[in-house]
Amino acid sequence: MANYKKLLIEPLRKTNPVTVLVLGICSCLAVTAQLKPALVMGASVTVVTALSNFIISLLRKGIPNRIRIIVQLVVVATLVIMIDQFLKAFAYDVSKQLSVYVGLIITNCIIMGRLEAFALSHNPRESFLDGLGNGLGYSVILFIVAFFRELLGSGTLLGYQVIPQTFYEAGYQNNGLMILPPMALIVVGVIIWIQRTRHPEMQDSNNN
Amino acid sequence: MKKDINSNRHIFMYATILVVIVAILLTVTALWLQPFQNRNEKNEKRINILTAAGIPDVNANNAALLFEKHCTSEFLLDENGNPTESEEGLPVFVIDRQTCVIPMQGNGLWGPIWGYLAIAADGKTVVGATFGHKSETPGLGGEITTEKFQGQFAGKQIRDNGSPIPIEFDAITGATKTSNGVREMINKTSESYAPYFQKLPPIQ
Repeated sequence: MANYKKLLIEPLRKTNPVTVLVLGICSCLAVTAQLKPALVMGASVTVVTALSNFIISLLRKGIPNRIRIIVQLVVVATLVIMIDQFLKAFAYDVSKQLSVYVGLIITNCIIMGRLEAFALSHNPRESFLDGLGNGLGYSVILFIVAFFRELLGSGTLLGYQVIPQTFYEAGYQNNGLMILPPMALIVVGVIIWIQRTRHPEMQDSNNN
Repeated sequence: MKKDINSNRHIFMYATILVVIVAILLTVTALWLQPFQNRNEKNEKRINILTAAGIPDVNANNAALLFEKHCTSEFLLDENGNPTESEEGLPVFVIDRQTCVIPMQGNGLWGPIWGYLAIAADGKTVVGATFGHKSETPGLGGEITTEKFQGQFAGKQIRDNGSPIPIEFDAITGATKTSNGVREMINKTSESYAPYFQKLPPIQ
């Protein structure tokens, strides 16, 4: 039981796919200018990692080794297309906002990484939790980055104005740089910095 | 005999069966969700037309009803700006017998952009505009769909007494290509509808 909990919780912190394994940075730059697309993107990726991990783990004994990457891609692509269709049918507004990035989940390195590293060698239940954990780990970072970018870049959160008008009258200005992609990289860098300062054992030694 | 999962025979069988299953799955999903998606797209179009014409509080639930109520006529124009019976032409939606809403198509940074422009009965003044896009960057070019961007078009002039005049508006920071695309789109559209608006208001 403790083991399952660990599978779910660890990717949120010590084995976080974005800040520790440094995967999935590409979409992290793209969808974090605002909070809402970041949240939906995080949820979609979580569903895809969890389900694809589960399915590949179910199939793992029958997948021919030579075409395993192709099989993984087919499973992931199918799931992503289905999610895209569902969003278009039942959450049309959000699907419009995310536009191309739902399709780009297919190329998210976290998903393929977890399939290769975990699902092929573990049972379906563990794989499902591992996928869920890694998806949530990705979502947490997306959430933090989007929170700061939207707050400092647009003065809003989820589209609502949070920085009061009096601040602007006193000379405060939104930081336009925050909504440009480079700032996502810098915010992720700051998160990694803070995380590794608090957990010195995560730091790479200089002798390597 | 134990089955060898790495034999060529097994690989071909496996790949074939997998692809067939996936194909069936995707087809079923697509067919099942098609009506919902079509309804969303149709509603989207109605919402955009009505919002451009300044009808407040249009949402997915009341779009069909309000469209029926407000859209007094819709017709196509030939190249001389006269209503035509033929299948092809420039569409016009008349809202409440005074505002003409015309569709626009153009190119953004990554893909097509489109929108609706509502013109007052004088044939010159913009009542409102709405925009949509296929694949602009969320948070940058994607901002053309926000109220903040669309709101600035009301009251602008697209025509002088004689000829169309280029539109001017505040572009989006970090989305120069998309903003240019919007400008091109509006200018192109107002030029191709010029013969029709020239005749307004006499023909209503």
